[in-house]
Amino acid sequence: MQKPEAVPFGFLGKIDAAIGRVEIWILSWGVILMAVNTIANVFGRYVFNQSIYFSEELNEFLIILVTFMGLGYATRKGIHIRMSAIYDALPPKIRKGLMVVIAAVTSVMMAILAWYAFEYVQKVASRGRITPALQLPLYLTYVWVVVGLVLASFQYLLTALRNLNFAEEEIYVSYLEIDSYEDPETAAAIRRHEENSEEESAK
Amino acid sequence: MTEFMLIIMVVLLLCGFPMKMPLISAAVLGFLVYFPDLSLQILIQQMIGGVKPAALIAVPMFILAADIITRGHSANRLIDVVMSFMGHIKGGLAISVTSACALFGAVCGSTQATVVAVGGAMRPRMLKSGYSDSFTIGLIVNAADLAYLIPPSIGMIIYGVVSGTSISQLFIAGIVPGLLIVVLFSMYCMFYAYRHDIPVLPREDWGQRFTAMRRALWPMGFPAIIVGGIYGGVFSPTEAAAICVLYAAILEVVIFRSIRLRDLFDIALSTGAITSVVFILIAAGAAFSWTLSFAQVPQQIIASLGLNDASPLMVLLAINIAFFVGCMFVDSIVVILILVPIFAPMIKSAGLDPVLVGVLITLQVAIGAATPPFGCNLFTAIAVFRRPFIEVVKGVPPFLFILLVVTGLLVIFPQIALFLPELAYR
Repeated sequence: MQKPEAVPFGFLGKIDAAIGRVEIWILSWGVILMAVNTIANVFGRYVFNQSIYFSEELNEFLIILVTFMGLGYATRKGIHIRMSAIYDALPPKIRKGLMVVIAAVTSVMMAILAWYAFEYVQKVASRGRITPALQLPLYLTYVWVVVGLVLASFQYLLTALRNLNFAEEEIYVSYLEIDSYEDPETAAAIRRHEENSEEESAK
Repeated sequence: MTEFMLIIMVVLLLCGFPMKMPLISAAVLGFLVYFPDLSLQILIQQMIGGVKPAALIAVPMFILAADIITRGHSANRLIDVVMSFMGHIKGGLAISVTSACALFGAVCGSTQATVVAVGGAMRPRMLKSGYSDSFTIGLIVNAADLAYLIPPSIGMIIYGVVSGTSISQLFIAGIVPGLLIVVLFSMYCMFYAYRHDIPVLPREDWGQRFTAMRRALWPMGFPAIIVGGIYGGVFSPTEAAAICVLYAAILEVVIFRSIRLRDLFDIALSTGAITSVVFILIAAGAAFSWTLSFAQVPQQIIASLGLNDASPLMVLLAINIAFFVGCMFVDSIVVILILVPIFAPMIKSAGLDPVLVGVLITLQVAIGAATPPFGCNLFTAIAVFRRPFIEVVKGVPPFLFILLVVTGLLVIFPQIALFLPELAYR
């Protein structure tokens, strides 16, 4: 990693970009399906007098999918909630070192959890547990916990590695995003607001 | 050992670790110490179980609806209708901000979105008519907190799931305290306007008011769906949330045409990302709370604080202080996830109404979010208005005082919160 490129880590970066696209797809469709499923259930009950029998089960699957598959995405975008008031006040060199420690320790913890999640899913699979409504194997729902934790661990590892280059000034909050002191939710809301007021004044 | 767990949590928190780490680390370390013979698989099981409750689906649904609304024009229409009624009163502009925050909070439930949407539109107008900047920002930051208290409130949903309290009842119970705060804030605004002799706006005639009302008619459908639907027993909170999503999508895509259908995909992605960030905390919180309660940590803490057979009043006081202080430093969701399981046995043995406790906790969360040093609304305001910390903080104390008075009133007269749900459910 001599000079920072658009996609660092070469081949690894390309694989990660592909994984990122899949995560985006899963997150968006997961949320949309959740909404459609819940709305359809209400309409089913009031209009057709018939609830959707697998509605709750589908939502359980979707929320587990979104929660854990979103881990990697949120890490890549550096949007996990953290209390950064003290961290932000430290001098850049120390912050950079601290970020290496934070990312490395978190990566290890995610890996440990992934391992035990893997054992747990194996146990669930070997007992042949199936879901009550759809009669599908339960491990198909739980396996996403393992995948998500592994991807998150991987992302934190990349973040730690990216920050190891102390010759560089920038501090990376994820391996792609530079730490910019901004709460992403607030930043997004401000951007939308400014777009809106531009539209309004254009009219 | 309990102290060790606490120290680990605080250190990880202060170092700037992602918030899930203090929760998970405390859970894992506590587990290894208290239950060395069991497999950590139990914690994984708890994490999965933590995000599964159907009631929690309301959280992504309300976030999605709010995301759709804040990209559209609903906020401005709500502000216009309030202004047309309040503008000519002394302090009318400031009162409009309070009411608009309450209305917008009833539509979307996110305080940050409220600060941006209402504050961004109203602050220039308030400054122009003579209000000081610190008063204006103090008002916006605190009035936006009404979004926590007035349904839909994400904090209430999480408290309800963690403590096993009815979310419908919590929603209904938040309404009157929320309105009480609107009234008290408005009185202070009036007082301020008289003292600083701030000019009033011309009175609008009924034709103008009617036009503003018609324009805001559609956004007013949200409170009707949420409160009417839940109060009337038509929807569960989760279903009401999903119907809000449908309503928001129809409103902004079909009727106002402020967003395109394919924008919904991007909005769903940002909702999915926020959902994941929040739900991994809920999952970690479930593992944490399992370790805590099976190791009987809450009982130890209660005993060491000498609160073993405290009166209900003492317990309420302890809860209020703990949540208020906690939320000054840490994200509200994390505080709820950590403190509710610790206080749960105490609340039970003191015979307190969990709905009342929920409303009080939500109120403290709201107050904490606007209190220095780290209240998150303050930082939103700093980012949105680009003002230094000191200036943002300066106007906060009077509003904090009012909110603490409301806390006191709720402790002394719980009926303020409880009579509506009692009317509806008992």
